Amino acid sequence: MNILLCSINTQKGLYDISGVEVGQHLYWQIGGFQVHAQVLITSWVVIAILLGSAIIAVRNPQTIPTDGQNFFEYVLEFIRDVSKTQIGEEYGPWVPFIGTMFLFIFVSNWSGALLPWKIIQLPHGELAAPTNDINTTVALALLTSVAYFYAGLSKKGLSYFGKYIQPTPILLPINILEDFTKPLSLSFRLFGNILADELVVVVLVSLVPLVVPIPVMFLGLFTSGIQALIFATLAAAYIGESMEGHH
Amino acid sequence: MANVIMASSKPLSPPLSISNKTPKFSIPKTLTLIPQFLKNPQSISLSTSTLKSLSLFAATSLSFAPPSLAEEIEKAALFDFNLTLPIMMAQFLLLMVGLDKIYFSPLGKFMDERDAAIKEKLSSVKDTSEGVKQLDEQAAAVMRAARAEISAALNKMKKETQAEVEEKLAEGRKRIDAELQEALANLENQKAETIKSLDAQIAALSDEIVKKVLPV
Repeated sequence: MNILLCSINTQKGLYDISGVEVGQHLYWQIGGFQVHAQVLITSWVVIAILLGSAIIAVRNPQTIPTDGQNFFEYVLEFIRDVSKTQIGEEYGPWVPFIGTMFLFIFVSNWSGALLPWKIIQLPHGELAAPTNDINTTVALALLTSVAYFYAGLSKKGLSYFGKYIQPTPILLPINILEDFTKPLSLSFRLFGNILADELVVVVLVSLVPLVVPIPVMFLGLFTSGIQALIFATLAAAYIGESMEGHH
Repeated sequence: MANVIMASSKPLSPPLSISNKTPKFSIPKTLTLIPQFLKNPQSISLSTSTLKSLSLFAATSLSFAPPSLAEEIEKAALFDFNLTLPIMMAQFLLLMVGLDKIYFSPLGKFMDERDAAIKEKLSSVKDTSEGVKQLDEQAAAVMRAARAEISAALNKMKKETQAEVEEKLAEGRKRIDAELQEALANLENQKAETIKSLDAQIAALSDEIVKKVLPV
């Protein structure tokens, strides 16, 4: 029985040490439905940051750009470059979608790592990056699916569905499966990366509070940026794929 | 940042529970599973004694967990889909429209216009180089014309001066001629007069000579 008690104690101790809140949500009731309040609050902050900085930087564009405008022009050129590389010459109308996707995910991820959300105590759950929640990532992934279906259908009409039997009808099940795996992989990749990153940081901080977690935090920042880029690039690639000509 | 996370991260919450609202790892189920493993010892290479202790460990660790912990496990909802999803979609679409209105479209248009203006200026610079060539040619033509004009004027002036000089020369010659004629005429007159006077003197002199030579 000694061993048993010891194991119980270590387990309790592990729970105490880790102190990680996973799957804890602050619920709000909206018309009989539940929402995750902490996700909505942080997403509002992210949206406010994006819109506010854009308004300030692009309010009065100069021919020779200064600091803020220069940065935003650089970002816009980067987004255009990504869209153009993946979609091709007709990338113009998709720049807002790809750009918003990239900026929203990027600022969300970095806000989770850089903003001191945890100063604000919630009655239940805790504030973190909005992309930390499966609802957000699935919402973005589903929008990507809708976007590439819309892109294909508006470009080629009903002949868009011809791609399902390309190059041979044998691949029909795989091609249909692809439409499900695309949003699934998109959403789970982002969700898993951000959640894992935050968990690793929190666990490390609780184990060794000094110095040691810092490289992991920087790694987290790096991963967050890469994930935003991957999501935006893949969204653009899917759109470009559904718009390109099948013979 | 580390301190912030440390200070605020709440203890006593489960780190790894992926189950939805109804946890799959309920205690009775695990307990019923263990005897099945015990009945079939060949399939597992572990000895029964170690297995027994392991199963006991698993069972007790789950059953002795504090009630608050079990409650928390039940509430932990990692894959909890609800109204947040459509709200996030709507928010994203609104953000897209907003960013397009205040960022992507205006700044993109501004950048394109600037690019076009720069390109136009560059091409216009190329045009002025042709213009410079034209102006150069014009200048050369003007210079040529001026030179021709000047040489013509020079020639004309030369001719004029020559004519004038010649005229003056001729005039001078004429005058000299006239003066010469006059002088010659005067000389002839004086000669004639002198001869005449000499003639008269000759007669007188001859008379005197005769008188002297011939003594009377």
